[in-house]
Amino acid sequence: MSLIPFRTKRSTGMEPSSLATMGDFRNEMNRLLEGFLNRPLTGPSWFEAGEPGQWMPAIDLSESGTEIHVRAELPGIDPKDVDVSVSEDRLVISGEKKSATEKTTDGWKHRESHYGSFSRAIPLPEAVDPAKVTARYDKGVLTVELKKSPTSTSRKVPVLTS
Amino acid sequence: MVSTFHPAAQSSATPQPDRSIEPSPPTAAAPCLVYQPNVDVCDCGAEVMLVADMPGAKADSMSVSFEDGVLAVFAQVPQRPLQGRQIGQEYGIGDYRRSFRLGEGFDASQISAEYRRGVLTIHVPRLAAVRPRKIEVRSA
Repeated sequence: MSLIPFRTKRSTGMEPSSLATMGDFRNEMNRLLEGFLNRPLTGPSWFEAGEPGQWMPAIDLSESGTEIHVRAELPGIDPKDVDVSVSEDRLVISGEKKSATEKTTDGWKHRESHYGSFSRAIPLPEAVDPAKVTARYDKGVLTVELKKSPTSTSRKVPVLTS
Repeated sequence: MVSTFHPAAQSSATPQPDRSIEPSPPTAAAPCLVYQPNVDVCDCGAEVMLVADMPGAKADSMSVSFEDGVLAVFAQVPQRPLQGRQIGQEYGIGDYRRSFRLGEGFDASQISAEYRRGVLTIHVPRLAAVRPRKIEVRSA
């Protein structure tokens, strides 16, 4: 009789179900790290959370001479359910992602997508003209083009010498 | 980093993500990243349905294959033109690749897939012989 208990196969925690859980955990960590590492460490604080419990679409923000470009990943959303509003210095993208397969309530084995309402406020690096904004939704990506306000367009200032 | 363990037993009908996928080798022309799309999996009895978020993918570049019980999905995402100065970037642009070990008992010839609004929905029907059947109980 052995005094050292043998670890049975079941007690090793290597059943398929627990491995699947480990895989989920690894995926979740990858996603968290990816989001964290891709986030800008400097610059304006344009990462603003919505209401608790809401999800937020991932966003890209860039600017050229007279324009600001915003892209948001919104897969599976009816464009009618997306609301884009602009004030001088802020763009708000909100809406709701409805599950296209709501009828199938049973049988979901694995869920990774986000559903429900979302809201994202993006402080803009410069004032824009709210009348000159275009938004287009294509293949699950929302692209918003904003024209900078002429009054705020940066001007090169010559340095005079005495 | 590629892990090679397989969570699902070969005989298991429950779909599990296949962890043995390898990122596609970068091409000489444009080395690109490969992402795993977020996927919902539904075991709907007569079929298994997979709903994959793949925003920005080129519809004509998509491929769905089913071999040895493994369903593999791949899609290219065109590189976006850089417009001026990047201020913030929360998502990278790269191709989508993921595979799932579904096991046996599926009718590969009847697999269908549609891409709409950045979401790829794949229907994998079970063979009629292995579909769950409701048996009527008759009273005497």
